Amino acid sequence: MNSAALSMLWTAAVETLTMVGAATVLAVLGGLPLGILLAATAPGGILEKPWLNRILGTVVNLGRSIPFIILMVAIIPFTRSIVGTSIGTTAAIIPLTVAAIPFMARLVEGSLREVDPGVVEAAHSMGAAPGEIIWKVLLPEALPGLVLAITVTAVNLVGYSAMAGAIGGGGLGDLAIRYGYQRFRGDVMLQTIVILVLLVQGMQMLGDKIANRLYHRN
Amino acid sequence: MKPGNHCLSERCQFQLNPRFREMRGEANLFRFLDRNHLFFRRRGFFIQGCGNLIRLQNLTKTFAGKDEVRALTGISLEIPAGQIYGIIGPSGAGKSTLLRCINMLERPDSGEVWVADTLMNGLGPQELRSARKKMGMIFQHFNLLNSRTVSGNIAFPLELAGTDKRVMRRRVEELAELVGLTDKLQAYPHQLSGGQKQRVGIARALATEPTVLLCDEPTSALDPETTSSVLELLQDINEKLQLTIVLVTHEMAVIQEVCHSVAVLEDGRLKEAGPVVEVFTRPKSEAAQRLLQGFLSARFEVSRQSPDGTLIRLTFLEERANQPIISKLIRSHQVDVNILFGRIDQMKGAPFGTLMVELAGPPEQKAAAMEFLEANGVGVEVMER
Ligand SMILES: Nc1ncnc2c1ncn2[C@@H]1O[C@H](COP(=O)(O)OP(=O)(O)OP(=O)(O)O)[C@@H](O)[C@H]1O
Ligand SMILES: [Mg+2]
Repeated sequence: MNSAALSMLWTAAVETLTMVGAATVLAVLGGLPLGILLAATAPGGILEKPWLNRILGTVVNLGRSIPFIILMVAIIPFTRSIVGTSIGTTAAIIPLTVAAIPFMARLVEGSLREVDPGVVEAAHSMGAAPGEIIWKVLLPEALPGLVLAITVTAVNLVGYSAMAGAIGGGGLGDLAIRYGYQRFRGDVMLQTIVILVLLVQGMQMLGDKIANRLYHRN
Repeated sequence: MKPGNHCLSERCQFQLNPRFREMRGEANLFRFLDRNHLFFRRRGFFIQGCGNLIRLQNLTKTFAGKDEVRALTGISLEIPAGQIYGIIGPSGAGKSTLLRCINMLERPDSGEVWVADTLMNGLGPQELRSARKKMGMIFQHFNLLNSRTVSGNIAFPLELAGTDKRVMRRRVEELAELVGLTDKLQAYPHQLSGGQKQRVGIARALATEPTVLLCDEPTSALDPETTSSVLELLQDINEKLQLTIVLVTHEMAVIQEVCHSVAVLEDGRLKEAGPVVEVFTRPKSEAAQRLLQGFLSARFEVSRQSPDGTLIRLTFLEERANQPIISKLIRSHQVDVNILFGRIDQMKGAPFGTLMVELAGPPEQKAAAMEFLEANGVGVEVMER
């Protein structure tokens, strides 16, 4: 492998990591509160609000049912209004985030709902307020599950980022398509795939490790 | 049974009369007793049994759903301060629902829940949270926070109450010592046995110095040995801290071992309530008799010796146990008495005797014999005719 190819791979990998990293952070910032809201307002939740829950649920489902490639194109005006352009790595972060927030929110909701209702009831019996139950019971008890939810979201974003690359976002996916596919460079294709596989493996292993450390159950 | 258990309660009850409560305003009886706790103890008064801490009036609860469930129907109950008060009944009787109505985890459809002189179902959300901080609760499945150590679990209600960090640490240590878990403070719940988990639950429930401890089947997930040790701890707490305990169980043995009084529930209705000794020796309701029959027959495996004999169970309270009632009976009636089994049980420390006997003779003589026994203060129950 020559140094030009190597630096091309390196640049692409950094672009992918930037897109995935930034979108994951933003997805947590958006998805965590949304997920908490979904879980809390659900029937039997600590702030039961069936109407709000139904509206939020519909919005989230809508976001999740639109194919990413279409979403990406559809929100170009929105992306441009925030970043100033709709092309490039930074611009790709916006559709990635928009796609990841509802996904993340559902995963967060699921983790929170898995917390033993008995423990929540015990907190109620001790006079905990809804906010205290969220901060001191639901989130800490669900923490291992939340870490895994973030991991799954990030892994998913690696896949999405490859698609984002196809419309000028850069990154490993873009490289694989432009060189590997369009210029019949099987070697570049293979290299990017190997890097992607290693990236996903590494992320999942890290997530599992952190979750296991936080998991105080047998 | 503790001395003073009844005598003082009568004197205090008039003070709890609603008319007096209003007149007294802020200076309510319980705060007064609390402040003068030592004075009363030194003078040999027992705060225990002094008035009712909890009063339930005509509680009704229906669960809506595909087919409505009437969980509670017109339950009125008074729970004296300082007692361990048992609530027993078969599965689905409404025991848990009743217990959960006391701290409003379940809101009754109608009726009143008074704890000390607070009307629980009249409280707003913020007031209710404050009131709950003065009530502890423990659960069948412990319901500890898995993400926190023993120390963190015990500290949890203190955090909610905004307790100062240093005070909190000291209090956690005290509580751990009280329940015998000093060496487990840094362990996580999954590293503990069931009995140890329940001890954490108890320590946590006691952290904010509640006036009442609500227990929903606290020993049902434990083996017999651990059950005894947890019951002992509850008894210990009741005596040391003069804490009122309401204990839901489906096991008569638990009632017998620790409770002062018991309420029998069936189909959401209160069938009988009173001191344990009375309910055990002279059950009035069929529900109580059924529960006792199952409980006692499992422990005295006796059967009739002759086909025309009548198997009866006699129960004696301590003062009757010394009188030669059986020999008097044989002398005065034309019956044969065959003693099959006898034992003396401890009920909350007070002895009571049980005798299984078979009566043989003409039916009218047998009936007369049973009347004679009852007239002499012996509990009589026909097991097999
Ligand atoms: N949240 C609920 N929704 C619907 N029905 C309920 C609910 N909680 C209790 N019930 C019903 O109310 C009745 C009383 O239930 P409860 O749990 O109080 O009984 P229990 O005496 O505690 O029984 P167990 O010994 O099995 O715990 C039962 O028929 C039960 O099915
Ligand atoms: Mg129950």
